Amino acid sequence: MRTRRRLTFDRVSLMVVFLGIPVALYLAFVLYPFTQAAWYSLTSWSGFTSTQQFIGLDNYVHLAQDDLFLKAVGNSLVLLVVVPIVTLVLSFALACLLTFGGSSTGAVRGLSGSSFYRIVSFFPYVVPAIVIGIIWGRVYDPSAGLLNGVLTGLGLERFDKFAWLGRSSTAMPATVAVIVWTFVGFYMVLFVAAIRGIPAETFEAARLDGAGRFRTAVFIAAPGISGALRTAYVYLGIFALDAFVFLAALNPDGGPANSTLVITQQIFSTAFKDGRFGLACAMGVVLALVTFAFTGLVFGVARWREKRA
Amino acid sequence: MSESPLFQRRRFLGLVLAGTLVPVGLSACAAGGGSDTPADSAPTGEVSDTNPFGVGEGAAVEAVIFDGGYGTDYVSAVAAAYADLHKGGKLTVAPSTQISQQMQPRFVGGNPPDLLDNSGANAIGLATIAKQLEDLAPLTKAKNTEGDVIADTLYPGMLDDGYYDGRLVQLNYVLTVYGLWYSKSLFDANGWKAPTTWDDVLALGAQAKTAGKYLFCWGKEAASYYLTLAVESAIKEGGDEVRVKLGNLDADAWSHPVVQAVFAKMEQAVQAGYFLPGGAGTQFTAAQAQWTQGQQAVLYPSGSWIENEMKSQTAADFQMTGCPAPAVSSGAAMPAESFHASAGEPFVVPSQAKNKAGGMETLRLMLSKEGATNFAKAKLSSTIVKGTVPADAFGSTALASQIAMLDAAGENTFTFNFNDIYGFTSQNNVLWNSFLSGELDAAGLTSGLQKQFDDTRADDSVVKVKVS
Repeated sequence: MRTRRRLTFDRVSLMVVFLGIPVALYLAFVLYPFTQAAWYSLTSWSGFTSTQQFIGLDNYVHLAQDDLFLKAVGNSLVLLVVVPIVTLVLSFALACLLTFGGSSTGAVRGLSGSSFYRIVSFFPYVVPAIVIGIIWGRVYDPSAGLLNGVLTGLGLERFDKFAWLGRSSTAMPATVAVIVWTFVGFYMVLFVAAIRGIPAETFEAARLDGAGRFRTAVFIAAPGISGALRTAYVYLGIFALDAFVFLAALNPDGGPANSTLVITQQIFSTAFKDGRFGLACAMGVVLALVTFAFTGLVFGVARWREKRA
Repeated sequence: MSESPLFQRRRFLGLVLAGTLVPVGLSACAAGGGSDTPADSAPTGEVSDTNPFGVGEGAAVEAVIFDGGYGTDYVSAVAAAYADLHKGGKLTVAPSTQISQQMQPRFVGGNPPDLLDNSGANAIGLATIAKQLEDLAPLTKAKNTEGDVIADTLYPGMLDDGYYDGRLVQLNYVLTVYGLWYSKSLFDANGWKAPTTWDDVLALGAQAKTAGKYLFCWGKEAASYYLTLAVESAIKEGGDEVRVKLGNLDADAWSHPVVQAVFAKMEQAVQAGYFLPGGAGTQFTAAQAQWTQGQQAVLYPSGSWIENEMKSQTAADFQMTGCPAPAVSSGAAMPAESFHASAGEPFVVPSQAKNKAGGMETLRLMLSKEGATNFAKAKLSSTIVKGTVPADAFGSTALASQIAMLDAAGENTFTFNFNDIYGFTSQNNVLWNSFLSGELDAAGLTSGLQKQFDDTRADDSVVKVKVS
């Protein structure tokens, strides 16, 4: 039989500070707003009255028939798939260059000057997203933008006054490029640290066995940092589902033919512009479900693979 | 159960992680407690001609004012007069650019300000709060500080947009003249004339082209200015019938022959390359600078705020001048002088405010000759009060042309505001950006606009405003 330990002041204060306070904060600021929002999603609340009228699942029925919302969900899912993949592939490739892409003789090391590249590529991450959005909005400007200036300067006349953000074919890729540009440096630094965690002997051995840099990256580095890759994927995926700031800065109304409209923009305008908080909360619940499904999938696949291994 | 405690904890932590990363939308909807019953706790005074709403002695007023193109100082300017009239009562003006976000908890909590300038990109939709606002009819029946009944001192039609469900729930303070704007010096130098029909506009486009310029330019957030222009042209051509059909979200409003005639002319201008390319990707003030500074385009459809908005980016000796939107043909239903005039900067008095009388009184002082003249002089724009702009219009060619347009039109002004009431603007921008850049034809534009109308008409949760 275990004896009950005495509740000393030390134990009680420890429990209060490290258990009680976080749980209380979590209840008050995460779980309570969640349930509150879920409740509002069943009402026709305008957002400006102190009472709400219960209307059951009407908001969800409305959303299922709302072409614009479905378009926004589709765009969000595109971002969810494309942004993490492109960002992770690029940053992993760069991290490999900086850790073992250098000279083939002597110790395994990165390209010369790699610490310089590391700092430079980290820069965009330090700049607030809204500033990045505004800067790139100017870079993409059809008449006075840097991008078209460079392209026409190279003799590509067809890019004179080319509206990157104003054509339904290029608006989304141009937006994705900005988001990827922002995050590549950060994840590169993360992966550099993770690759450094793999014993140097492993790389040396691979090289002695005749593995080239590409094989080393795929068969040594990638499996060695799978945990970091998974975490990065979840973070980027959840970010891609939000991405509000970038999209609002680059194309506030949803872009040409709504090609860059995402769920969070719809939530914002439905709540604050249309005064339909009930409906906006229903959109929020849908977004939360998509997010949970995504994280569940990533963790689930990882668990399935671990079991198989 | 075979799951180890470790795994359960990890799963819990995973959920916590996911949970904390999904604050979007969900936690943004939190509401506080409160009650809907009015809390009229300010002292009340005796009602008289000089105190028509019975403001109590020394009663303080809190005004929240949109801090946009006009700033907030024109409201603070009446603080001294208010204090004089009401035994030291203090008028506090709080600037805001996030009206909807900041006022939402206050409406829910039952403590809104006494006066609110519900304007700007984050304004609260009128339909959302109309039931929670005071009827301002007593204000228009009251006498101003000079002793005239306020309704008699206003330009005609300026209160129209403030009615909702038969009550005057908002008062739009600033007179807005809509039409086409151009540089008079540029037109004079080239021997061009302000157009009165769409054929004139297209002819001007051809002339501009030979001078190496475009006819129009546009910016992505303001593409729907061309919707305003198209509707103005259609109403001039077809008269009240068209205005009523559009205002009531009619089932075939956008396929009306007159509307189609305007779209056809616009499509012709797009096809002829009269629109400066790239507008769909250009920020709207940058686009406007292509007209006021670079003078790459010669005409721009907008409201009279344009002069103030572009003040720092307008070429010297530009001589900005306005003219009415063109009709389709010379046989239009309305005279050539008629145009779209309405009032902007909507002021409302929430019913739950502590000092509603003080909110109304502040508006009364702003509508006095002194308050209105002060605004016109400082902002180079007219309020809805007549006769506050001198002949020289304080040196502003744009303001002088507005007053000339108003005098010429007399009673022949009209207004429509289905865009504001039903919040179509941002989706209209999407459609018009595609149309103006040539990705969408007139038929596609028509069906897109009609779909908005049909969806809104079918949605029972949206209160419809009857237009007659």
